[in-house]
Order: sequence, then structure tokens, then C-alpha cells
Amino acid sequence: MKNNQMTPKRKETLVQVLNKPKVAGYVFILPFIIGFLAFLAVPMILSLGFSFTRYNILKTPVFIGLENYRTMFFGDPKFWKVFGVTMYYVLFSVPLRLIMALAVAMLLVKSTKLSGFYRAVYYLPSIIGSSVAVAILWKRMFASDGVINALLKIVGLPSDIAWLGRTDTAIWTLIILAIWQFGSSMLIFLSGLKQISVSLYEAATVDGANGIQRFFKITLPMLTPTIFFNLINQLINGFMAFTQSYIITQGKPRDTTLFYTVYMYQNSFTYNKLGYGCAMAWFMVFVVGLLTLVLFKTQKKWVHYEAEG
Amino acid sequence: MKKRLLATTLAALLAATSLAACGSKTETKDTQTTGATSAAETTKAADTTAAAGGKVTLNLSWWGNQTRNDVTKKAVDLYMSQNPNVDIKVEFTDWSGYWDKLSAMAAGGNLPDIVQMDYSYLNQYQKSGQLADLSEFISTGAIDTTKIPESIIESGSIDGKCYAISLGSNAPMMLYDKAIVEKAGVTIPDQMTMDQLYDISKTIYEKTGTKTLYDGGINMMQIMARANGSHLFDELTAGKEDSMKIYFNTMEKFAKADFSISADLLAEKNPDVVETKPIIDSSTWNDFLLSNQYISVSKTAGRDLGITMFPTLTDAKAQPIYLKPSMFFSIAESSKNKEEAAKFLDWFTNSTEANDILLAERGIPVNSAVADEIKPKADEIAQHVFDYVAKVSEVATPIDAPDPSGKGEVEALGKTVVEAVRYGDATADDAVAQFVPEAKRILEEAAK
Repeated sequence: MKNNQMTPKRKETLVQVLNKPKVAGYVFILPFIIGFLAFLAVPMILSLGFSFTRYNILKTPVFIGLENYRTMFFGDPKFWKVFGVTMYYVLFSVPLRLIMALAVAMLLVKSTKLSGFYRAVYYLPSIIGSSVAVAILWKRMFASDGVINALLKIVGLPSDIAWLGRTDTAIWTLIILAIWQFGSSMLIFLSGLKQISVSLYEAATVDGANGIQRFFKITLPMLTPTIFFNLINQLINGFMAFTQSYIITQGKPRDTTLFYTVYMYQNSFTYNKLGYGCAMAWFMVFVVGLLTLVLFKTQKKWVHYEAEG
Repeated sequence: MKKRLLATTLAALLAATSLAACGSKTETKDTQTTGATSAAETTKAADTTAAAGGKVTLNLSWWGNQTRNDVTKKAVDLYMSQNPNVDIKVEFTDWSGYWDKLSAMAAGGNLPDIVQMDYSYLNQYQKSGQLADLSEFISTGAIDTTKIPESIIESGSIDGKCYAISLGSNAPMMLYDKAIVEKAGVTIPDQMTMDQLYDISKTIYEKTGTKTLYDGGINMMQIMARANGSHLFDELTAGKEDSMKIYFNTMEKFAKADFSISADLLAEKNPDVVETKPIIDSSTWNDFLLSNQYISVSKTAGRDLGITMFPTLTDAKAQPIYLKPSMFFSIAESSKNKEEAAKFLDWFTNSTEANDILLAERGIPVNSAVADEIKPKADEIAQHVFDYVAKVSEVATPIDAPDPSGKGEVEALGKTVVEAVRYGDATADDAVAQFVPEAKRILEEAAK
């Protein structure tokens, strides 16, 4: 490297320039860089700018300073309502989904002839889960004349419940849908489980530890890095949930299922208040960033890394 | 250490990218949910080929239901077979998704060449310069208006220039299930009062057990204000409570009645979408809609449904029912092929062959000669619509001025407040106190 800098500059051909190790690397990541700039960085900066404007989507934006943020915090009760709904959804759906994912991963970790098949089957819902088709399927299942009520009727339970219409049950139909999509976390848990050394279990068994003890004393601590990763991953996913609320319930009843993203969308495109929508988006960036930061700060307390132990 | 570094970087990267995706997410979801053929992307490619090969591509988009989608596509196919140099790409969505999508397209400067436009949105889109002036095509004869009544052209005109051609007239109506009404032994008058509706609903529930829907939408608000001798948006802009007091009191009275469909079932059924209206599976015996939706609702329900006018007040100050020039077609100002788009519009409104296929699904054809020719061919269901619109036109009073900006948000607010009353979380007085000032604020904000 030093030699290179010392030699006097002379003209190089394009190919020579491109072939330099330093340049070649950038050339290889160029497709990503272009995509990142065009579809992420620039729109993000623009949206930050728009968040300080009154931007009726059909007119030109007008700069209004922090007015959107002021309205959001002090002049829009619905904003806090949807924020609460989204927090509630995240608070329940994320831990429950992780518990579900871990439970199924524990079942599937043993290699049998069919384990590959089962893994694929359980992964399927998380691929199709956020699709419109599944949303509509869910809507039909929980309809008052749907499958869920029919099943309840067979076992003799009350079967005339409008799950999607009651203020106390509607959000839970969406949470259940979220739990059902545990596949991707499950796969990560599976690989985490496989990395735990068998010798630890053998030693524990010799010492007389039972299954529950082994789970809490070995499996769980050893899995904490995986749990940590899954938790952050799913937390962000939870805040981004959109389709469920938009298709299945449209935020009904009484806005108890109106997710933050859907309200943001409504403001931006239905009410044509794009500036306000952008401000909402940036508040969400702040909240999710903050929560992620908090999780990172607390990881010393509970995340166990083998190398350090 | 290695593992930790990996987990940390992965998590951080994920956080950054997924958050960044939020902004763009909304738009992609929009196209997903609509299930529409996404012709927007193909537009640019098509435009260039048009310039090169002489073939013109037009984009046409509308909101609607399955019946409308089917007939419109059929008509478009016929036009393309007669005009091989024109290629028409169609997009359709349901009502609410349509306006979300259209505003995003307008902001991006790529409105479809021909857009279906509504009376309530015409103002906003014209004011922001999105719509082409059709007057020049009318004066050159590219769009023949000789057989279209002057009042129709006027309804799509702003400041003396025509920006939209109505494809038909509609009127708000109440539907009822003939079999259930007959079973209950009641007769439905041409137009009932709210009190009559209340009594009839009660009788029907006692005799047959079928429940009643009371419309909680903005149409009913407008009707109530009109019956009270005023106009909804005039009152809301001024912050006046008079009509809204009547509206929410009636709302509460119906919400509390045993015969009303329960709030939770109604939330599930979603009467905003033609295909899931509660009358279709007999969850209720009545429903409220605009006359152009009648054909689709009847076909979905698979039975003949009775029609009566929207109810009025017992001591109404004015006849609230109105004719609504509806289903406008406009040409986008950004269109590169306005001339061809105008030709298509002309064919769509003035040719018998097009209307033979469309069969008044969007409303009675505005071309009087075409209407006369179509009428005998229309099936029995469409005949009902013809008859109803004719009946309304005898008593109708002029329609409200086009809705102001902010209408969409006021409508959503109205639904929220109505739901609060339905679920028993708010009284009529609470509702008025919440709705009127908030609506005023929204309208002021939107007018800026």
C-alpha cells in the first residue's frame, strides 16, 4: 500500500482502475448501493423533509416547521389510540410468537426421517402469512358463520361470537395470526439449538438434572443470543404489520385494530396528508430505534455469549 | 466474541433496512390489496412503443364491483378489436382503494389516461390541475355531445370548462327484501319517514326475526341535512350542529333498538362493499346504496330486491332525495394521447354497441337516443333502476355543491363517531360534540 502511494501518478486505463482491489470491491457492491440509494436512502431523506411540510398529495408541499409533530402529539387523539393498539399488538404477538417458535423448534430438533418435511410445513405459514389471500382466509375463518364458530358448536361451546366485530376479541384474531407465522423464528431457533454442545446435556444428565432443569439451565441460557436476535427481528416486524389490519378488520371495531402503519397510510393517501404521514413514519423510526437501543443496552444482563462465559 | 459481533451486526442491519422499508411499504401494499392489473409500470414502456410503432396505449381505471369489471372489460375488448391501433390497459379496484391509489398516482404525475371520477372528488382533482379540459374536444366534435343534456355537461364543468363527462345519473335508494317484507305483512311506501322506518323495522323483527340496518354513512348525513333544509358541508364548515343533532339522535334511537343488527356483526359484515352487504345473506331486510349498485347487489344476492327512496324526516323542510350525476370519466392532463382518449370517451358514451354491453350498470346512459334504445333491451333488474331513477327525477331537488377537500377524512371521522354510538360508548350528545368541531377543524385544515 505504501509503495503505491509513493509512486508518481500516471495515467491508468479504466480496466486497470477497475481491477484495483480497492475499486473492484465497490464495483461489486454497486448494484446494492444504487438500489439502496434510489429506494431507501433518498426516499428516507425526502420523507424526513416532507415531514416538516403540509403536503396535500395533489398540491405542492408548504414548509410548516414542526407543526405536524405538534398535531401528532397534542392535537390528534387517534394518533395515541393507534399507537397504543400497535404497542399492545407487539407486546403480545412478539413474545407469544417466539414461545411458539421455540416450542416447535424443540420438537423438531431431533432428526428423524420426516423432520425435514415437518420443518418445511411449519415454515410455510410465515411465507404466505402476510399475504392478502391468508388475510381473507382469516377473515372467513373468524366470521360469525365461519369455521371457528362451527368448531366451537361441535364441542358445545357458545358459537355465535362475532370475533372480528367485538372490541375485546378482534385484536386477538390478529395476534393469533401473528403467532401462527412463527416459521422464520423457528428456523433460527433450530440452528441455535443444534449449536448447543451435546456434552453439556450429557454432563447434566449424569449429575441427575431432569428435562425441565436441563431446559432452564442449559438450553435457555445457551440460546439467549438467538433469542436476542429473534426478539429484535420480530419487534421490528411487529411494528411494521399492515396487511392484517388493512384487509381483515380495516381497523374496526372502534379502531381497536387500527395499526400505526394503516393510520399512517390513511393519512398519507386517503386523507392526502402526506406530510403528516411522513412525520408519523419518522416517529415510528424513533420509537423502534429507541426500543432496539434499549434491548441492546440490556443484553449484557441477560444475553449469554459462550466465548465470554 | 465472533458470534456476538455477528448477532449485533445482523440485528443492526436488519433494524436499519426494515425501518427504511416502512416508507415504501405502504405503496406496495396498496397494489397488492387491490388485486388490480398493475398497468402503471407498463405505461412508460408502452408510451415509447406508441411513439415508435404508431400503436397507442391508453390506460383506463375505474372503481367498481365484479359486474362492472366484467362488462367494462368486454366493452374495451370490442373497442380494441375495432381500433387495432389502440391498446387499452385496464385497472380496477374497489371504491376506497381506488382513491388511495389515484392520489398516489397523481402525486407521481402518472394518472391513467382515462380515469373514472366522482362528483365528490372532481373539485380537488380539477383544482390541482390534474384533469384535462374536455371543452376543446367537445367543440371539435371529437366528443359528440349533441344528444347529451346540457345539465349533464354542466355537472362535470368548473368555471365554464368541462372536465368530466358523466356516464349516468344515480339516486340514493333503500333496498328491501321482498320476501321478508311480505312475510311480515307490511307494505313499504315510496318514501318513508324515519319514524315509519322505525315502526316497520319493529314489526318485521317481531314477525320474522330479521334485523334492520340503519345507515351510518355520509350519504345519510347529507340526506338528513337536506331534509332539514340545509347542506351538510355548509353546516360543518360553519360549525353548526342543527342537522347533526337530528342525525345522531336518530342514529342513537336505532342503535338502541332490539331490531337493529348488532354493532359487532355489522363491523364484520362491512356494508361498504357491495359483495358483503348484510342484506345479501339476509342478516338484515334492508340496506342503503346508490342506484348504480343495485344491479350488482341483486346479482350477488341472487334474488329480486325491492327499491324505495332514502327515508326522510317526519317534518322535513325539503325533499332530500337528489339525482347524482355520477361515474364521470375524465382525461388526465398528463396524458400523452388525449385525442385518442377523447375518441374512446365518445364511443363509450354515444355508441349503442358499447352501451349494449354496459347495460346501464353505471347508470342510465346520458345520450338520450342511446338510453331509449337500450331500455327495452335491459333485463328486468336493470329496468327497476330505470324506473326508480325516473321516479326520483320527478321529485328530486338539486344536489349539494361538490364536496370540499377534507371530505374523505370527515367521512372517516363520521364512521368512527357512529361506531362509538353503535357500541354504546357515546350518547348522541357526545357524538355531536365530538363530530362537529372536529369536522370543522379538518375542513379548515384541508382548505389551507
